[in-house]
Amino acid sequence: MNCPEFRDHYELFALGLADEPERSEIRAHLNRGCEVCTAEMRKAMELTAFVGATAAPAAPSPKLRRRILASAGYEQRQFGWTIFAAATAVLACFAAVYFSGRENQYALESAGLREQIRRQTIDLTRLNEAFAILSGPDTTVTSFGAGRTAPPKGKVFLNARQGVLLIASNLPPAPNGKIYEMWVIPKSGKPAPAGLFQSQSDGTAMHIEHGPVDMAATGAVAVTLENQGGAPQPTSTPLIVAPLER
Amino acid sequence: MLLLPILLALRVAEGDGDLVLRLQRRDPQALAELYDRYGRLVFSLILRVVRDAGIAEDLVQETFLRVWNRVQGFEAGKGSIGPWLLAVARNRAIDYLRSAGGRERNAMDLEETVHPALASDMEQSLLNRDQIRRVKAAMDKLSPNQRQAIELAYFEGLSQSEMAERMGQPLGTVKTWVRTALRSLRDELGTAVPA
Repeated sequence: MNCPEFRDHYELFALGLADEPERSEIRAHLNRGCEVCTAEMRKAMELTAFVGATAAPAAPSPKLRRRILASAGYEQRQFGWTIFAAATAVLACFAAVYFSGRENQYALESAGLREQIRRQTIDLTRLNEAFAILSGPDTTVTSFGAGRTAPPKGKVFLNARQGVLLIASNLPPAPNGKIYEMWVIPKSGKPAPAGLFQSQSDGTAMHIEHGPVDMAATGAVAVTLENQGGAPQPTSTPLIVAPLER
Repeated sequence: MLLLPILLALRVAEGDGDLVLRLQRRDPQALAELYDRYGRLVFSLILRVVRDAGIAEDLVQETFLRVWNRVQGFEAGKGSIGPWLLAVARNRAIDYLRSAGGRERNAMDLEETVHPALASDMEQSLLNRDQIRRVKAAMDKLSPNQRQAIELAYFEGLSQSEMAERMGQPLGTVKTWVRTALRSLRDELGTAVPA
């Protein structure tokens, strides 16, 4: 058969109705790459495709698309990505909440540390001041409370240039609304206020009144319990009295 | 609104070559687009053959996977993937029908009719409702026997001998109906089918 003779067999071939020997001859002819017959065969394929397109329109279930993509390994990956994205979102939310909480915690801890440093700086300054008084060559020391049953005990250090240092024990914290006040009592005249302080819960206390002291004019150092804010003059019986020893 | 069908048609025409290339690069999104474009048409065709929605869906899945796995042999410049997809779908459906009915395969292996190289560039026509209406009108112009013969061949994959037996007619008569019907369709659709 030649090309024109194939013409009536193209549609039969496309429909699967071509008989032998025409079927084998057409196949062999197409395999030889005849452009004319290949083009004609395409037209025949178009015709049969149109017959298929006349089938009544119908819609598959929405799940079918997912099934096909999943079987090609796509939807499954997408599902995996969905889980990954969801997990990432959950983790992100968790991290946001967690780190938000941590941030607040860090802020609180930071504020606490700053306060601790501030207090330690104050304590260090006080200790430096106390050390300056203690190490002063002209510092005098006076003990108080010795020999009494349960009195406050301790020592008072006086330095003409540095000031007065009081170190006490067995001095319970002042009651609410009260505070301890130190006095520098001259040999003559009224007591001079020398600062307010509070004792620790274990009954210890250290108080410094920084500044020059007239050693010759000072007769004693005393401590009274006063109302919060202190008083210009003692209003109660002194708990501590440390007369200067000359 | 008048521009919408034109834009859609252009989109189909422009996207086809690119779609094939992406399928060949194993881009899964391209498979999704192929299904979105032809899924209903393929399902309708297969359902018409097997007349069972569940089985049809299984065969649609097989069809798309077959194309997905064989698309490397498709030459994008020589044809469109739509007609090839329909040919594969028809082949799968008729194979199922034959195996379910205990029928032997047709003397002609349908596989050779679905070679990718024979796919033509008719995507727009396949997806064009007006074009489909013209095809249906052409089918309606056939005599009942001619139309039945074409439908038995296409949708059930019967050979001409099997058609003769089914229709209770001499083989020669059936062959005449088939040839006359095909010539008539070719004449009716000759101007509609892109060259």
